[in-house]
Amino acid sequence: METPQYVAARIQRALAEDERTNELGIRVDVRGDQVFLRGQVSCEERRHGIEDVAREAAPGLTVHNEIRLLEVRAPGEEEHL
Amino acid sequence: MKALRVAAVADIHLGEDIRGHYRKKLEGIEHRAEVLLVGGDLTRHGTREEGRVVADELCDLPIPVIAVLGNHDYHSDAEEEITAMLRDAGIIVLDDDAAVVSLDGVRLGVAGGKGFGGGFAGKCASEFGEPETKAFVRHTKEIAERWRHALKDLDADHRVVLSHYSPVKDTLAGEPPEIYPFLGSYLLAEAADAEGADLIVHGHAHLGTEKGMTPGGIRVRNVALPVIEHAYAVYCLDGEGVH
Repeated sequence: METPQYVAARIQRALAEDERTNELGIRVDVRGDQVFLRGQVSCEERRHGIEDVAREAAPGLTVHNEIRLLEVRAPGEEEHL
Repeated sequence: MKALRVAAVADIHLGEDIRGHYRKKLEGIEHRAEVLLVGGDLTRHGTREEGRVVADELCDLPIPVIAVLGNHDYHSDAEEEITAMLRDAGIIVLDDDAAVVSLDGVRLGVAGGKGFGGGFAGKCASEFGEPETKAFVRHTKEIAERWRHALKDLDADHRVVLSHYSPVKDTLAGEPPEIYPFLGSYLLAEAADAEGADLIVHGHAHLGTEKGMTPGGIRVRNVALPVIEHAYAVYCLDGEGVH
């Protein structure tokens, strides 16, 4: 079996370099044949796109998409400097 | 002197898939702030099409918008076209220079640009060895030098530095320390500390922390959207003026 560290690195590189994603802020953890994706993105389409690219980079492994959608709240209290 | 309310955000990563969403969050901004600063990574892939979305989302706001580009905005080699599109839409885009806007009689000077990496004092790259390493470090040095000049010549009541990359480690807390050299450089902070500023805002570090400070005591704020989790943060610069 391929070393998990190299699998994680390959997925992370694919997410950054693949034109469909170009995502640099996704955490990738590999445990055995399980891949865990964590981070935040702006919409459902981007969340799925990341999962697709990760699956292609790690064929045969089970990908768990734990990426959550970034909820942009109304502006809060101002800070006095 | 009147206090100024500065709205700031970075890493909005706009594209066709979320067109219109961010604009809605800017409604009423004129009641909350006098100016909006946008600290780079306006797009996701740096394409012209995404640049158009950014121009459409940020144009015709009732308050001035000042922006810099981020690394994502350079990815498709269309940074000059994106900059031109934004400028055509009335957005001030800084590229290692400065602009002064008069807001209710108070002059706000903003200096900056994309910035770059290299790391932080004691744990950073040096201009030594292979040409590739030297070029990497030289890029940051040249940027810092241009910021220093821009700040030196900046005549304003309040001065803010707008960057994409971070000038300090404080606001990176939460990111893996191994990647700090790709997230910012102390040379950016050194330039601001040498010439003085009231505030530095940046983005780039999605997993970082909002608040930090330069070694010289200038407040630093990481306003990456995933960090602030609000449409923008608002910082009120009180009447005292330049740090």
